[in-house]
Amino acid sequence: MESIHYDRLQETLYHEKLDNGLEVYVLPKEGFQKTYATFATRYGSVDNHFQVEGQEEVKVPDGIAHFLEHKMFEEPDGVDVFSKFSAKGASANAFTSFEQTVYLFSATEQIEDNLDTLLNYVQNPYFTKENVDKEKGIIGQEIQMYNDNPDWRVYYGLIEAMYQKHPVRIDIAGTIESISGITKDTLYTCYNTFYHPSNMMLFVVGGVNPEQVIEQVRRNQAAKNYEPQGQIHRYFDEEPAAVGEKWNEIKLPVSQPKFLMGFKETDTGLTGEALQRKNLTTKLMLDLLLGNSTALYQQLYDEDLISDDFGYDYTSTSEYAYSMIGGDTRDPKLLVQRLQEEIGKVVETGFSQEAFDRSLRKRIGNYLRLLNSPESIAHEFTRNRFKDSDFFAILPIYESLTLDDVNQRLRDHMNWEQLAVSVVVSP
Amino acid sequence: MTVSPISLDKGVFTLNNTGFERGEVNGIRVHVMPTTRFKTFAVSLYMGVPLAENTVTPTALIPFILRRGTETYPETTSFREALENMYGAGFGFDVYKKGDYQMVQLRMDTINDSFVASDEPLLSRTLAFLGETVTRPVLENGRFREKYVQAERENVRKRMEAVIDDKIRYAAERCIQEMCKDEPYRLSALGKMDVLDQLDGASVYEQYQQWLSNSSMDLYIVGDTTLDEVMQLVGRHFQVNRSATVMYTPAVPRPAAPEVRQVIEEMAVSQGKLNMGLRTSITYSDERYAAALVANGVLGGFPHSKLFMNVREKESLAYYVGSRFDPYKGIATIQSGIELQNFEKALEIIRQQLSNLQTGDITESEISQTKALIRNDLLESRDSAYQMIAYDFNGLFSDKERSVDELLTGIEQITADEIQAASSVLQLDTIYFLTGQKEA
Repeated sequence: MESIHYDRLQETLYHEKLDNGLEVYVLPKEGFQKTYATFATRYGSVDNHFQVEGQEEVKVPDGIAHFLEHKMFEEPDGVDVFSKFSAKGASANAFTSFEQTVYLFSATEQIEDNLDTLLNYVQNPYFTKENVDKEKGIIGQEIQMYNDNPDWRVYYGLIEAMYQKHPVRIDIAGTIESISGITKDTLYTCYNTFYHPSNMMLFVVGGVNPEQVIEQVRRNQAAKNYEPQGQIHRYFDEEPAAVGEKWNEIKLPVSQPKFLMGFKETDTGLTGEALQRKNLTTKLMLDLLLGNSTALYQQLYDEDLISDDFGYDYTSTSEYAYSMIGGDTRDPKLLVQRLQEEIGKVVETGFSQEAFDRSLRKRIGNYLRLLNSPESIAHEFTRNRFKDSDFFAILPIYESLTLDDVNQRLRDHMNWEQLAVSVVVSP
Repeated sequence: MTVSPISLDKGVFTLNNTGFERGEVNGIRVHVMPTTRFKTFAVSLYMGVPLAENTVTPTALIPFILRRGTETYPETTSFREALENMYGAGFGFDVYKKGDYQMVQLRMDTINDSFVASDEPLLSRTLAFLGETVTRPVLENGRFREKYVQAERENVRKRMEAVIDDKIRYAAERCIQEMCKDEPYRLSALGKMDVLDQLDGASVYEQYQQWLSNSSMDLYIVGDTTLDEVMQLVGRHFQVNRSATVMYTPAVPRPAAPEVRQVIEEMAVSQGKLNMGLRTSITYSDERYAAALVANGVLGGFPHSKLFMNVREKESLAYYVGSRFDPYKGIATIQSGIELQNFEKALEIIRQQLSNLQTGDITESEISQTKALIRNDLLESRDSAYQMIAYDFNGLFSDKERSVDELLTGIEQITADEIQAASSVLQLDTIYFLTGQKEA
């Protein structure tokens, strides 16, 4: 077990990589009642074409990672996993994203039992034809729920407009049609590939003793006798630089149009600290450009083109990267035009040192605030770690950013050739 | 291993003590929890007035105008820059219904100085900022700045209209509207669309002055500070003309309609939303409160609950299905998203589960699992400054002091009979179904 102390954050992180490849991290939080644990696999909706070294190449139906997440709650002894956690006072859940699937619980007592339950159910798949078919009705309703949700639709509308080939464009839950092709055999194939401990990470944060937790996990894993697994190769069709569609329109009853636009990056392939640095620089740049204290924001608000729900975000992995900007608006076409005019002006002048200092201070404050939340720590750390970057090393990166970095990023990212727009309007 | 609630407390709490120290200044109740457990100061200001047809709309508009500018920061951009300069202090507000009150809540959270370099203590700057926001808004000719009033009126109007974008929320609000059609509770917390257009800087300012003088005001702070320090800061930064503190009057529960009402509404949706409204005579201050909490948990509060296990896991009818208990109003609600043609079937299963609960068809494991999860929720709330604040305020709002430890003990002792008794007072009042449009 190694320990890493982050003096400025007043946090100490404990880590061990077990013999079977599982990465275990523990962050003790003095004075906290709650323990929050996540058991995550580096496997999400984008992993639909893959090969384990020495085995056959496989293509699987859309939505299978999410389907698999649902089915992990089924156990051979017939005891419901939720009930098992409930009986020990733990609140359990799971979620699937583009790049990962995460199983979690939070509890204040009986942590050892709950941790064993978490490790054991995720490492004990039980799929039958009957329980797979039963789940299709439930997930079908989940898909329908999202179909009726205009915020979700405009979000996916943008990704679909930007990406032509990359599986990030596939809805995480799949479609009712695509999940109909899922069988217990395809589930086992995915499970056996991606749920090997060497592809997984356990993060435990809260009022725990690190040595005890790691010793418990060591024992639990040693008893399971995992054989080593070859490297997983993920295949992605080559993504053209250009966006697929400039303007994607979806009809759904809404009070006023929903609007999102985004810039698709052409320069991808970064990993680790370089990727993280670019991510933080871009987010800071977007704050300076579009944050609710900026002149641009206030101008568009005064023109009644945006309201409180206006926002922006930036997503980046080594495979794909894009920004998202938007909200509800009375006139999407006018808003794009006004954004283009106003952003153009800022690109010419750049940001001021004063605004830069203020926005950086806000970013640092927000980052420190996240460290109050065990959930945020676990999720952010895992997400970063899967990209070979360190959530606890963000402060020094922020402090090394300069006004020139951000101005450069502004000029590079605002490439109107790379713009795509998604709108949801009433029929 | 079992651990008693007291030994878990790590010195922050003592039995029968909420952890808050209390004072009163300028007619404002001040509640402070001194602690070094968090990296922030959490500040929450509750201002409540009785929910009423003629004041609901201008009152809702007030916080939207207050966050546009103050005497020191008259322009919205400078107001927001000031927050950013406090290491991005969080600032937010909310307007909602609680019992028969319309609540306006303002929140700030600021980094504790020990993590950053700051010239002036951040708590002092935070309270100065919040105090000025609430008590010294920017004025024009003795009234709110007309430009801000107009823009925020439009903003609130859009928010009211936007309820329809989220069908889950829309169905929940429609069900309450139908069930409480003869009570102020039918009103949206944001007010009424037709009144909104008549408001201007003068009329909202008049309402603002009433609100500032007559609302119930509670200011909470959790962080590395003391009651003395906070009292001084509040005295300095919240200069309000208030003669006394104003208490809350808990809502009196109403009986259900003599016959269950069924409302079906059509819209272009792929999934149907089935919502049910129930009345209960049990509110927060009731002796049976703990039993009612457990009863709701057994019915639909958790993934092991009757509704989830039967509607979702057994019948595959829904992705989400659950129940909620509102102890401030004395109502409970059930909500689910289902296939359009499954309305009758889902309704029947839900009614059957409700009936099972009321006739005492409850297993030992349902009870013990529910108790364990409620216990966990209560214990976890101690890790969140805002949750501790909310818990304390709930007691104050309901005029019933009940510490977390007392409630934990109460829940532990609840029997199956008590759960059944607390369930038997649940009366179905309204069934609301949002369904797809029929082919023309």
